Amino acid sequence: MFRYILQRGALALAVALVVSFATFMLLNFASDPASAIAGEDATQEVVERIRQAYGFDRPVLVRYFEWLGGVAQGNFGESYYWNKAVGQLVLERAPVTITLALSALFVTIVIAIPLGAMAALNPNSWADRFALTFAVSAQAMPNFWLGLLLIILFGVMVPILPISGDSTWQHFVLPAFVLGSSSVPAVMRLTRTGLIEVMESDYIRTARSKGYRGLSLLTRHAMRNALLPVVSVLAVQLGQKFGGSVITESVFAINGLGRLALQSILGSDIPTVQMLIFIFAITFVLMNLLADLLNAALDPRIRIG
Amino acid sequence: MTKAYPFRAIALAALMSVAPMSTALAGKADNTLNVSFSEEILELDYNYTTKREYIIISDLIDDTLFSVDPETNEYLPALASGYEYIDDRTIEVTLRDDITFHNGQKLTAADVAYTYNWMIDPESESNAGATHESWLESVEAVDELTVRFHLLNDYPLAIRDLASRVRIRPENTYHVNGEVVRNAAALEPVGLGPYKVASFEPGQELILERYEGYYADSPKGDPAIERIVIRTIPDIGTQQAELMSGGVDWMYNVPLDVAQSMRATPVAEHLSGPDLRVAFIVLDAAGYTDPEGPLTNQLVRQGMNHAINKADIAQYLVGGSAEAIHTPCHPAQFGCVTDIANYEYNPERAKELFAEAGYPDGFPLDLWAYRERPMAEAIAADLELAGVDVNLRYVQLESLNQARANRDIPAYIGTWGSGGTADTAAIASIHFNETTDRNLSGDAELSRLVQAAEETSDQDERLAIYTEAVNLIADQAYWVPITSYSVNYLVSPDLDFPLSADGLPRLYQASWK
Repeated sequence: MFRYILQRGALALAVALVVSFATFMLLNFASDPASAIAGEDATQEVVERIRQAYGFDRPVLVRYFEWLGGVAQGNFGESYYWNKAVGQLVLERAPVTITLALSALFVTIVIAIPLGAMAALNPNSWADRFALTFAVSAQAMPNFWLGLLLIILFGVMVPILPISGDSTWQHFVLPAFVLGSSSVPAVMRLTRTGLIEVMESDYIRTARSKGYRGLSLLTRHAMRNALLPVVSVLAVQLGQKFGGSVITESVFAINGLGRLALQSILGSDIPTVQMLIFIFAITFVLMNLLADLLNAALDPRIRIG
Repeated sequence: MTKAYPFRAIALAALMSVAPMSTALAGKADNTLNVSFSEEILELDYNYTTKREYIIISDLIDDTLFSVDPETNEYLPALASGYEYIDDRTIEVTLRDDITFHNGQKLTAADVAYTYNWMIDPESESNAGATHESWLESVEAVDELTVRFHLLNDYPLAIRDLASRVRIRPENTYHVNGEVVRNAAALEPVGLGPYKVASFEPGQELILERYEGYYADSPKGDPAIERIVIRTIPDIGTQQAELMSGGVDWMYNVPLDVAQSMRATPVAEHLSGPDLRVAFIVLDAAGYTDPEGPLTNQLVRQGMNHAINKADIAQYLVGGSAEAIHTPCHPAQFGCVTDIANYEYNPERAKELFAEAGYPDGFPLDLWAYRERPMAEAIAADLELAGVDVNLRYVQLESLNQARANRDIPAYIGTWGSGGTADTAAIASIHFNETTDRNLSGDAELSRLVQAAEETSDQDERLAIYTEAVNLIADQAYWVPITSYSVNYLVSPDLDFPLSADGLPRLYQASWK
């Protein structure tokens, strides 16, 4: 197990390195950071002065390895756009995104799993069709559109929730619903499929013959096996929530890592984009590792390592 | 032009039809003006920033020695009560004696001298210094209320610069315990303006409170609103919703389609103000890309001026108060005379001129552009109609800059905002002096005129020189001027917000109806 974790940790590092290299090259070749910092109306002299001051006139590979050397010592560099240490910037914004991501995952779980179970226990009934319709609608609706609908509904027509900012827990209700709902279809359908399969298995028939019925049959026997693939998907979804909240954070004016990523990309703020991509890549790999470990913990038949 | 959101604007307008209408009273009730910006506000010291939003905020927090009347372009005393030229290179400025910083400390000549000397010190690395370092040598405090500006050379725009850029800070603001701290005023600037900073969370929210010690008779007047809350809301749709629910009273730089859709509702008023930014096509008249190319021919360049339907571009693509222009500057700028050659829209005349120049079947043209895609495509279509075979090269700004520096661009669509300065110098120098790569005219006489205007103190003489220069540009058709711009605002119907001729929104002039 320990060896397995080490292997996956090394894989996470390798992924982060490859991603950081690709990002660094793409950002440098796709845009001119000196021009981006100088702004639209800057003269060529100002752009050149910035290029020299920030060292953009040096070879890109040299700058990449300098950056990497800094990272190895825990120094992610200074943001050109915000004029502060990137590490500090990310630490300031991370709590908001973590709160949003966990809230969104909570929304996904409380909607998708009961809905999936309801559909599985009543296959081809109106409840099943309702669940499927809900899943298809949620999957088809872009985050920004759902966000705007909820803003109009709960911010304008029935103004009971704040629609922009992140200063209170109420500010997270709508964005968490928007971000969480995008994962509902996958989780709901997996729950449904898994449960239908499990409900037809021999050990469930045995449990039924012993007199187990309804909720106790579902929670004590069926769910544990049916939710194995769901756990994996949830872990991956959590990884996506950390990196994929760009639109939601922008719509609801939430000052988190997603918005930071967007601003940094638009402003060609290479050090900040580099660190964010690094974090998102590592988070994603670690979430996959977490999914494997959780599966092993839930199902004794699975052995890791 | 800002990004358009047609789908979302229509959707929100449709939803508005079923939404209950309520007038936004929250701001008026507690005399708080709620402002939203799409841009993040990260720092408050305009001496170290450049963007438009920062000017708007700095105008609330800070003051300058002089002020410019946006209607007449006259320089008015502000922190200074007056000035006098001791000689051509020494200006003596007298300060008012009733001015205090937001911390209660009295403004003295030492503060002014310190601020300017630090701004022009290369070690300061300030943005404001760049405007002054070419003409200002040093600043000296003569007594408590008298400051002397020692100039490096004759510079007629000195008072203009003293009226526009450097924000005065208390002495030693940027030197804390002997150490240089360039961002010392970034988060809590001690200003002299009508509003003081109550709280600031970078990127999120800025709360300003009216400064009760603000001096009487300021050109900014006596602000009516007690508190101004400025929030960053990146999504324009969310800003709309906040405006509809009363959470926002003033939206800036609103896309035209959004402004138009909201105009029809009773919850918002659409205001369209001018902007000193202008759009134009710069033509390689000098023949840097092709010494024998069609653009070296004056008739071809005049034909191109005839070929483009500027009025339709201004009305339908920019909208608001934008107007077609025929000047190589904004008509509101000093020196931008309008009684010059004006090539009316006439594609047939364009074809005639092309034929007369030896191009009866038109000619191929690489037209570069980096923003305003719809405008670029409309221009390309108009030129095609007149027989020009246009290859529209729509690229990133940095690619255009690089190609222009390498003299690889025969024609490009450019825009210029003049930094909000209502003087032709702010656009002419950067585009027509002999050293800039933006100057594709190759006209030494034109560069000489632009330089002469920079070195002349006499305003009448400057006007005469710019008249000559602007006429020369128009006669030679070095540019194809296209349109001015407009800035759209959505404001609460309860708010009285006057617009200024120079396009700068002055929030201290806002009041409740």
